[in-house]
Amino acid sequence: MTCDAPTPAGGPAPAVWRSRGTGRRSTRTLRVRVCAALAAATVLAVLLVPPLVQLDQQAVDLAAKLLPPSWEHPFGTDDVGRDLLLRCVYGLRVSLLVGVAAALTATVVGTAVGAAAGALGGWADRAIMRVVDTVSSVPHLLLGIFIVAMFRPGVWPVVVSVALTHWLSTARIVRAEVMSLRARPYIDAAVSGGASRWRVTVRHLLPGVLPQAGLAAVLMVPHAMWHESALSFLGLGLPAHTASLGTLIQTARGSLLAGQWWPTLFPGLFIIVPTLAIAGLAGAWRERINPRRRSELML
Amino acid sequence: MLELRAITAGYVKNAPVVRNVSLTIAPGEAVGLLGPSGCGKSTLARVAALLHRPDSGTLVLDGRPVRRWRHRAPRELRTAFGVVFQQPRLSADPRLALRDLVAEPLRATGRREGLAERVAELASAVGLTPDLLGRRPHEVSDGQLQRACLARALVLRPRWLVCDEMTAMLDASTTAALVAVVEEYRAATGAGLLAVGHDRTLLDRWCDRTVHWETLPARARPAEDGQPAPERVPAG
Amino acid sequence: MTERAPVLSVRGLSVRFLMPGGRRVAAVTDAHFDVAPGECLALVGESGCGKSVLASALLGLLPGNAQTAGQALLGETDLLAADERTLARTVRGRLIGLVPQSPAAHLTPVRTIRSHLRETLTELTGVRGRAALRAAAGKAAERAAFPAGHLDHHPHELSGGLAQRAATALALVGDAPLLLADEPTTGLDRDLVDRTVDELRRHVDEGSEGAEGAEGAGASAGNAGAGRALLMITHDLAAAERIADRVAVMYAGRIVELTDAAAFFGAPGPRHPYSRGLLQALPDRAFTPIPGLPPELGDLPDGCAFAARCARATGACAVPPPLTGTVACHHPHQEPGPRAPAAQPLAPEAADRA
Repeated sequence: MTCDAPTPAGGPAPAVWRSRGTGRRSTRTLRVRVCAALAAATVLAVLLVPPLVQLDQQAVDLAAKLLPPSWEHPFGTDDVGRDLLLRCVYGLRVSLLVGVAAALTATVVGTAVGAAAGALGGWADRAIMRVVDTVSSVPHLLLGIFIVAMFRPGVWPVVVSVALTHWLSTARIVRAEVMSLRARPYIDAAVSGGASRWRVTVRHLLPGVLPQAGLAAVLMVPHAMWHESALSFLGLGLPAHTASLGTLIQTARGSLLAGQWWPTLFPGLFIIVPTLAIAGLAGAWRERINPRRRSELML
Repeated sequence: MLELRAITAGYVKNAPVVRNVSLTIAPGEAVGLLGPSGCGKSTLARVAALLHRPDSGTLVLDGRPVRRWRHRAPRELRTAFGVVFQQPRLSADPRLALRDLVAEPLRATGRREGLAERVAELASAVGLTPDLLGRRPHEVSDGQLQRACLARALVLRPRWLVCDEMTAMLDASTTAALVAVVEEYRAATGAGLLAVGHDRTLLDRWCDRTVHWETLPARARPAEDGQPAPERVPAG
Repeated sequence: MTERAPVLSVRGLSVRFLMPGGRRVAAVTDAHFDVAPGECLALVGESGCGKSVLASALLGLLPGNAQTAGQALLGETDLLAADERTLARTVRGRLIGLVPQSPAAHLTPVRTIRSHLRETLTELTGVRGRAALRAAAGKAAERAAFPAGHLDHHPHELSGGLAQRAATALALVGDAPLLLADEPTTGLDRDLVDRTVDELRRHVDEGSEGAEGAEGAGASAGNAGAGRALLMITHDLAAAERIADRVAVMYAGRIVELTDAAAFFGAPGPRHPYSRGLLQALPDRAFTPIPGLPPELGDLPDGCAFAARCARATGACAVPPPLTGTVACHHPHQEPGPRAPAAQPLAPEAADRA
């Protein structure tokens, strides 16, 4: 039978194009932009405010203690009359430093341990993962307190404490990723192509898990910030005169009962907003590295 | 000579997917291994290419029994095999451009001189354009990627080729093109071939002889009996 | 077959992808075809030619960066214009049954085949109640020749062939007038390919003959009972030869030949040089590849996309050939009679006809 659809072809390609799913994309873009703006504002504030504003965050003004927010002090003042906005920015600076440093350390340790376990396999894998299980069976905060207590209060003990309690999850993620990649035929092909164990790990396995590890690192920054705040809040982290978001909330605890809300609210917001912004960006990143989305062209 | 003797292999203890299978490939011979999907023929191919350690049985390569597999196998032995797998998507490191994919075995074995020329030569042999060589796997089609995977398998000039369902995902024209490349290489180098597949027409056309999975142990035994024990053959 | 209204009527279907950087990829261009009740149309072509994109477009499963144009009428519904809600509620499963590429991956690994069938039955038909569902599940399995004894197995316990039957049984539940099989035979061995396509053929034939004797589930569309149509997308020419009534050959996003399967695989042979080359590449024929590589869909030439690989190409090929009769080519092989000698660059009578 001949074709029953003789085409009126020859003319130009049809002009009416329909799209799908544009609405969802635009809200996603908006979300990413808001998160990026907030994260950028956080970083800029932390980097630029201290050198630009030549004010002393430690300046005590007992005449102006516990003032509610005003034009002069947008976030109000604390119980010894220090400007809270300035204290919050400095606190955020310390918290972010601790968070980033701890997350980086934890990621490096976790990736190394996880990759070793996944790439070696066998009894080495079992031994390493039992150590991981043992460490993670101790409550994080308790372990963190234990580590901090061994040192003089300061920034680096807190970083070490947070890092040493947070590498476990990264190690697990990396190990699982490495194990799943190791079963791929392309690893077989590399082995057959004469690649050494080291080369297979470094050139084929690790780069494959780095996006996941990076994502875990980014998500860990807010987590580490919270951990630092918790330690400081308990009085175990940073010395009370060093402004960190945790110490700020801790010292403001008493005023809250007296109806003074600003010394707790603003530091609290300074923890929550960057946390959400970073988590939002990390979520967008996760969608990007998802292999199903990566090739949008489905050929 | 590549001899698989009474190979039993699998991934889970006490549940081997390959049981007591023997197969012999003469130098320069092309053997097609035909069998239904999931019967274990791919596992046998991996054992033959030193990629999977069998639970029992011996692999004798040119008269010498092989005792180590994967990374433990000496590099010259591992690289004597070129392997091509069924799914090009899974067989290519997604981060490497096709050029690096083909060059990877050269880099891994430290043969960097003349690398670019060797890659270019192979690319033209398998029909990849320079433009395609600069792309990463998700930017090319299955057929193009499989061409690159074949080029990678040939880049170290292996003495044996193991093609595990190399053309199952490909259209007729690409299949014919890749088989032609393999045959050209074999004609030039005298390499042996183990082609695993499930398409009898294709394997019959491609290979010197086609064996069916079901008949394997039975077929190999008489040959084994009739030959002198290879351990006694002085190794060249 | 022309006297009956087609089940699916595709007119000028085009799909393009907007890529980052403003690049446009023309995955499908101006596809026209019909599939009649009781007919099997095989859409063949190499990987990356756009045939899977075409299937996704029909099911409304294109990713967000895709744009479509043209019409794909299935009964009253234009599949390309329908919104997600319509597609989900009335089209997928009810009007189009999908036979998937890799059935084992298509089934939920933690649930039994019976539970799959039961869920699909509840979703697509009016059958309610434990006993009725149990009976209906058994019946649905029987239709796809899925052995009742394996109904309580999980997908990983099934062989490739049985998993394929289970997936087919699911596709048949909604009694859809159109079956869409997307590479149903990839990775199966030859015997299994033959069995699978034979079964698909049976579903097409049965749908058109004894439809009134069928299930009480026919509450869906008015088309149910008019006969089933099958659109099979495949790169396996042997499978296509076994099952198809008509063949559409796709190259670089365009349908370059749409013709009767018997003529295509049999005596006169294909008329488009590409189709001819594809057939000649089969291991039981010449086993010679078509020289060169297909063009990039993002960077198609202005004229005929095959011209660069074609022995018959001339200056005329700088203009894209329209689909005239059964073939879109300026220099097609002769229509009737024995094959013309191969090395004839431009046969005048062929040019006249085109």
